[in-house]
Amino acid sequence: MMRKLANIVLLLVAVSLCYGLQLSKPHHGDLIGPIPARGKLGDTVVGRGFEIRAEKVEFARKLKADRFGDSKVLTTGGIWAVVTVEFAARAQSTTVAVASWRGPTGLTYDQTERLSFTDGLLPVAIDPGLPKKARLIFELRPDEASDAVVLVSEKLMSALDSQAEIWLGPVAIGPDGLPPGTVDTLDMTQPI
Amino acid sequence: MLENAGSRLKAWLAAGIGTVAAIAVAGVMGAFGARQEPLPVLVPAGRIETAQWLLRPLKAYSAEGENLYGVPLKPGAKALVLELEMTNRTAKSTKDYFDVLQANLAMVNPTKPFIVLTRDSTLSPELHPGMPERMAYIWQLPDGTAPPASLELTVIRKTYKQRDNLYGLPGWFNPAPVGTLTLPVGSGPGSADIQP
Amino acid sequence: MTAQIVDRESATSERKWRRRSLWSLVLLIPLSLAIESYDSVKALLGDSDLFPRRVAWGESARFGGSDWKLTDLRGAFGMSNLPPDSVPVLADFKVKIGDPDLQNRWLGCKVMLIDKDGRRWSPTSIVSLKATDNVQTCISAIFSGAKSGDTLNLRETFLVPKEATKSVRPAVGLASERPHFLLFQLEKD
Repeated sequence: MMRKLANIVLLLVAVSLCYGLQLSKPHHGDLIGPIPARGKLGDTVVGRGFEIRAEKVEFARKLKADRFGDSKVLTTGGIWAVVTVEFAARAQSTTVAVASWRGPTGLTYDQTERLSFTDGLLPVAIDPGLPKKARLIFELRPDEASDAVVLVSEKLMSALDSQAEIWLGPVAIGPDGLPPGTVDTLDMTQPI
Repeated sequence: MLENAGSRLKAWLAAGIGTVAAIAVAGVMGAFGARQEPLPVLVPAGRIETAQWLLRPLKAYSAEGENLYGVPLKPGAKALVLELEMTNRTAKSTKDYFDVLQANLAMVNPTKPFIVLTRDSTLSPELHPGMPERMAYIWQLPDGTAPPASLELTVIRKTYKQRDNLYGLPGWFNPAPVGTLTLPVGSGPGSADIQP
Repeated sequence: MTAQIVDRESATSERKWRRRSLWSLVLLIPLSLAIESYDSVKALLGDSDLFPRRVAWGESARFGGSDWKLTDLRGAFGMSNLPPDSVPVLADFKVKIGDPDLQNRWLGCKVMLIDKDGRRWSPTSIVSLKATDNVQTCISAIFSGAKSGDTLNLRETFLVPKEATKSVRPAVGLASERPHFLLFQLEKD
């Protein structure tokens, strides 16, 4: 009798153990996901293939840009956020192509595709020993401006490769719903 | 011997009944699945929700190909234009809007409109979470066809899957129609927006 | 009596087989690992330039069915509009075509500069220097339709920090020869 009971208990323990293992098993997507390299504004964040340092963040209602030689003003339904960064390659020449802005609520804004002609935007080719500046330009809702994280990686599917995660810190929101430092127009035709 | 034959017969019978039952159930379920529910008719003045998008139709019109949001149409070609406000309801920037609207027109290739951000004529840019944008779907009409009096559209939704079966990554799959939508086709871009 | 003997015999033979099985694991486990990882290792080796084959200055080496020779490596100083402390470096090769099937043999052609710390530079697009008509890059040469016995002049342009110019050496990798690659030595080496 006791022996039977002990067997049943053992069986239950084994079942719950297996169930626990199944529940806690990381999924394939988590296993092959990007590997984060974290830092904050002003830090040099070191990944496998590249280093990045975010220098400053600016907000603007409009952007001035060159489009096929014409100067053009780009409007937005939200605000423009421009992050000036400096890249450096580590062991070999590479290209950094992907950046996105993750707001405090987790909404993720990819780098804008409306300025792909302007100099200084991603993708940017970088060489070892030759630091290079670039601009990451996002279009976002003003309420996603504070406590944001900028995610930068070499390729879109950066499976098992580093992704820089740069925390930009809190940004106050003024009575008009915009960050106080928001300028009317930022000129993207100026050199970085 | 006799006993043996009997049990064999029993086994055959059991297997036969099982098969018939399985086929019957499958047939009945298939019949239910095949029954075509008529698609709901959507109101143009309302807001249309698919899982990924919030759509607000603004106007439909026919136009000459000249300077139509900078779209590369054939010179002199006529085009059918639908302008609408689109809001990305997902948590990520996306351009998964190529299948959202299907024009039910025999004469145009229903899968291939040009899709333009009207703000600055960017061709199919990503739209960002929670930011409504005015977009134009532009179907080029074949030479010599007159634009129709009304534009009938099928709205398509997709379903979110936390993990797809191939890579285990999240994504939107399984397009399925939500309903149909009919808009009057005005002439020229000057026509007024539909008011809710 | 007999039953006991049979028992004892089967017990010894069982123990013997148990030992054999355990020992065979020593062989089987590494073997199965090797079979499992064969494709991955092959892909890794076929995709990376790992083992340098040194080529002395002035000599040519057979690589991808052709004879490769470094003819010049020099810096182009005094250019404006470049990042600070950077120098454009030109690498010139003369290649005598042996096997004319360049689209297969030269697939994945990659010319690079490697310095003493192992840092690698790929050709740049920032600097474009005027070249004479018969100078090609590795990639454009693949589609040039060169025949066996032809000699091609290849030139690649790099942008290198000033401190690295002393120690950089040109190297060439081809998919058909990976994981081996050519590492050219200079006259002073």
